[in-house]
Amino acid sequence: MAAISLKGVKKIYDNKVVAVHDFDLDIKDKEFVVFVGPSGCGKSTTLRMIAGLEDISEGTISIDGVVVNDLQPKDRDIAMVFQNYALYPHMTVYDNIAFSLRLKKVPEDEVYEKVTNAAEILGITQYLMRKPRALSGGQRQRVAIGRAMVRNSKVFLMDEPLSNLDAKLRNQMRAEIILLRQKLDTTFVYVTHDQTEAMTLGDRIVIMQDGYIEQVGTPTEVFDMPANKFVAEFIGAPKMNMIDTRLTRMGDSYMVSPFGVNLFVEGEKKNLLLKNDVQTQKITLGVRPEHMTLLPAPAPDAIPCTLQVNEMMGSELHLHAVTEDGSRLIARVPTLSLTLAQRESLKAGKTLYLTFDSRVMHFFGEDGVSLLSDADYRRQLEIKKENQKQEIIDALASSDKSYNEIMSFLLGTKK
Amino acid sequence: MKRYSDLEYLRLSKLQKFLYRLGSFLCSIPVAVWHGIKKLGLAIWGFIKGIGLSVAEVVTTFKYGSKPTRLSYFIMGAGCFAHGQILRGILFLLFEAVFVFYMITTGSYWLSMLPSLGILGPTEEKKLIPELGMSVKTTVYHDNSFKIMLYGVLTIFFIIAFIYTWWVNIRQSKTAEKILASGKKLKSGKDDLRSLVDDSFHKTLLALPMTGIIVFTVMPIVFMMLVAFTNYDGSHNGYSNNLFHWVGLDNFNTMLSWTSNTGAGTQSYAATFGEVLTWTLIWAFFATFTNYFLGMMVAMAINKKGIRFKKGWRTILVMTIAIPQFISLLYVSKMFAKNGLINNFLIDMKWIETALPFFEKASWARVTVILINIWIGIPYLMLTATGILMNIPQDLYESAKIDGASGWQQYSKITLPYMLFVTGPYLLTQFTGNMNNFNVIFLLTGGAPNNPAASNSAGTVGYTDLLITWLFKITTGAESQYYLASVVGIMVFVVVALITLVAYSLLPSIKNEEDFQ
Amino acid sequence: MSDVKVQKAMKQHMGLTASRRISNTAIYIVLTIMSVIWLIPFVCIVLQSFRVESTWQVGYVIPRQWGWDNYVNLAKTDFWRWYTNTFILAILTAALQTIIVLCMSYTLSRFRFKMRKPLMKLMLVLGLFPGMMTMIILYRVLADLGLTQKNSIPGLLLVYVASSGMGYYVSKGFFDTISKSLDEAARVDGANRFKVLVKIILPMSKPIVIYTVLTAFMGPWGDFVFARYISMGTSAGKNVAVGMYDWLSQDQIGKNYTMFCAGGVLVALPVTLLFLFLQRYYVEGVTNGAVKG
Repeated sequence: MAAISLKGVKKIYDNKVVAVHDFDLDIKDKEFVVFVGPSGCGKSTTLRMIAGLEDISEGTISIDGVVVNDLQPKDRDIAMVFQNYALYPHMTVYDNIAFSLRLKKVPEDEVYEKVTNAAEILGITQYLMRKPRALSGGQRQRVAIGRAMVRNSKVFLMDEPLSNLDAKLRNQMRAEIILLRQKLDTTFVYVTHDQTEAMTLGDRIVIMQDGYIEQVGTPTEVFDMPANKFVAEFIGAPKMNMIDTRLTRMGDSYMVSPFGVNLFVEGEKKNLLLKNDVQTQKITLGVRPEHMTLLPAPAPDAIPCTLQVNEMMGSELHLHAVTEDGSRLIARVPTLSLTLAQRESLKAGKTLYLTFDSRVMHFFGEDGVSLLSDADYRRQLEIKKENQKQEIIDALASSDKSYNEIMSFLLGTKK
Repeated sequence: MKRYSDLEYLRLSKLQKFLYRLGSFLCSIPVAVWHGIKKLGLAIWGFIKGIGLSVAEVVTTFKYGSKPTRLSYFIMGAGCFAHGQILRGILFLLFEAVFVFYMITTGSYWLSMLPSLGILGPTEEKKLIPELGMSVKTTVYHDNSFKIMLYGVLTIFFIIAFIYTWWVNIRQSKTAEKILASGKKLKSGKDDLRSLVDDSFHKTLLALPMTGIIVFTVMPIVFMMLVAFTNYDGSHNGYSNNLFHWVGLDNFNTMLSWTSNTGAGTQSYAATFGEVLTWTLIWAFFATFTNYFLGMMVAMAINKKGIRFKKGWRTILVMTIAIPQFISLLYVSKMFAKNGLINNFLIDMKWIETALPFFEKASWARVTVILINIWIGIPYLMLTATGILMNIPQDLYESAKIDGASGWQQYSKITLPYMLFVTGPYLLTQFTGNMNNFNVIFLLTGGAPNNPAASNSAGTVGYTDLLITWLFKITTGAESQYYLASVVGIMVFVVVALITLVAYSLLPSIKNEEDFQ
Repeated sequence: MSDVKVQKAMKQHMGLTASRRISNTAIYIVLTIMSVIWLIPFVCIVLQSFRVESTWQVGYVIPRQWGWDNYVNLAKTDFWRWYTNTFILAILTAALQTIIVLCMSYTLSRFRFKMRKPLMKLMLVLGLFPGMMTMIILYRVLADLGLTQKNSIPGLLLVYVASSGMGYYVSKGFFDTISKSLDEAARVDGANRFKVLVKIILPMSKPIVIYTVLTAFMGPWGDFVFARYISMGTSAGKNVAVGMYDWLSQDQIGKNYTMFCAGGVLVALPVTLLFLFLQRYYVEGVTNGAVKG
């Protein structure tokens, strides 16, 4: 039973670098929330503030309604799994897992029960008497999870737990974390830089960049309705094609013209544009590679381009092409949708005809924010950015002010 | 000096490149010194600013603060008591009581005497001794300059500590109010005690070591620096013969004056200082770099592929570290003495007729000392170098071999730059350590042979004397000129600090630590 | 590959091994000479400590008449008293200094507090002052406390231990290499900072603890200047270095030279033995210290 609430949380380091700006988030009880973003985006710092390993510069973090800002990590009732496992090298696996229980002075019988139980679940029973250095990466990770498991704590924090594993093991462990989550039934906060992990694990995903939250939403929401260009490019692989073009409004219909090809916007997306009352403007048009269609021959709605690289991924082909004006486009084509002869013919230098459906288009304004997203959301974003700018200016001014005050006090010029 | 862009620089010839780099290195020295001074200035300015800010805060708090806070200006801990932090309050109050008691009983005396360092020296008085029924002349001791200075300094330290605590007491009261106003709870005495093993554990850990350092290092250094401004010596010991007094910069004038009549022997102190300093620097240079390069070569030889008994060779050398230096150095110095083992042996074998003057002639002695120091130093350097050599990534050598580098090229293009980069700071500490290498010089030669022009009754100066051994000789010499020793000590500090400052701003491994990682 | 090519390659191979053999032989010769030079003084000390026929310096190494006389004669001096003094001093110094150094280095490695950098800078600056300078005042203070002359051993202990916090570099370097996430994991697991130190860090720090103990133990055996200054005038408060120093002065060397050798052997024995067993840790520490600066 633990809901976590972060209100206006801010992290400013000694050297005045702001790692996290005004972080607002309510994590519900038993929710699995993933913080994702490129390195240095502040996701780990936020997690470590929840754990109590970093001081909170401003704002409050509460767990179950209790403000924990001034609590030591040991008093917060949390469990955490570290990126490099952080196993105590001088203790056996058993002692590692039992460490927290022994600190709590749990009777040895109970310790034994709990540790063996956790080891059973994680399949590491036969390694209990080994030292961590005698284990493989995956086994170490299991021990680290076991150590966190036995604590039965309200919150389970994981800081990039899979990034030190190789690709195969990572997939396997990812599945096991999902199973674990079903067994443990507590609140999870999970940090990763890998969007696949975020999409597969999270109930909700928090996408961060440069200390700001870019979007919060379910995997479907962030994939289908990215709030801005950054999210659109970050989620999904290979990343979304971005085409600078124009959105033209003609009465109640919209038209985009990528590379001189005119395409009309239909369906739900058109309604959203109408709802937001979007006018004719310069935009960036986003289309995911998997939504590109390969046409066998020139057509009015097809963009002609030249194939540069053909990556055979097994179940699909990644076609890297370049248009006449030098823009790059990527298309993901299922292997089975092409005949062998067609596949053979896809060699560098071949002219391709690519097109896409209006239902899969994303529109981003010049500020990078999606034209499809809520007008309210857009406005909020504006205000927030404005506020933050103002805050910085104020901070600078106030530091000057106090300095001036003191100087005038010292020099005796104050009235 | 003309600056080249990267691309322009690449087009230069080898000689031009070398000259350009030499030039920019030389140009960077004054810049580095200037940066150091600027940093120091900024630090001092920051300190003054900090004090100014605190003063301003204290004044405004008094104007606008709450009653308990204002009361804590006079009764320390009042704020804590008012806010229910009894333990802290008691500690503050106790501290104030101790301070006031100390200042009233003794502190004020030491402090008032500090400017004069004592007024009344020992006097002869007639004292009536009842058993004998007659009066006897006895010496009665009064002020003690040494104690006045020592306790005066201590009292000043104490006052500073008091002011700081007083300030903390006010601040705590103020922040406690802020915390209470925001609806949070204050830390109780129990919390405070608990935090001593948790979030304030560093204070607990540092308490003992820092007390030791302040009492036995900082205080003595401050005291001895003050001695440089007095006439404290054997005949002014401040108690049993004469008091000593402040003399301003006189001692520095003596030490830095070129007129020979102030001098130690027939030459001026400045000349002697210059000579000793020059030898100290030469010594430090050779002692550091001979050991460094030879030690590295030995390490490479032992580590070479195909050399067997690596551990055995290493152990033989390392064993010599274990034997206390006073034994090995004293013994070796006697081996090389005029009638020592080596000379006796050579004469017995009829290879020479008169003893070789290992320690008798200035140039012989200097070379001998450096050579024996190699014997002392190589094992340490060999160990260090071995560790670093093993850390050099093997793939660097592999890729160099594939690129066609010969053994010598691998050494000069990979091993040496890597070693120099990694050991830059270590070389610096070695250098300054050698400048102050008392043991080697004192145990080997004791400074001999004597330099008659620089020596006098107060102390001899020899050709192998370093500044540090000279300082020792002045201290323990017949006249115990502590004030001069103190001046020399300060000058040693200035020289070492300058070298360190310049080196620190030029050493690449300190500027960009990540380059080789 | 043609035969010619194969032959050429083989020739080159042979040339390589031959040249390697020559250079290795050269290295062996150099190393042997070095070992001899490095060992000669010690061999001489040992041999001369058994020399009976004369007590002064002579031109040969191997005694003409062997015997334990010099060792027996040591008992007639205060040697064993000095020896006990030094031994006790070394053990106590090793224990207390290790605690102080570990406290200091652990704190500076693990905690980030406001005064951390200024403290480290202060200690750097303090280290630039010649320690010799403070000898006089320390002497006077110890004299006031009654810790000189006869009682100079506790006085020395106080001085050694009190300022030992300045030598934190090497062990701080070691602590820096222990991943911080271990501390963090333990803190999340419910340990306070004290328990982190005792249960996690210390058990992992065996090498550096041994290194610190070893260097602290070796220090007092060689300290000479300060020990001499504060024990001046008595024999009871001397350590071995101070006591034996006089045996080699101009007027005593003729009488006590071989006895000095015997004493030297006895002094070197415990330290060397200890060193032999713990050499590995010492080597680690030295290397570590140099790399970390």
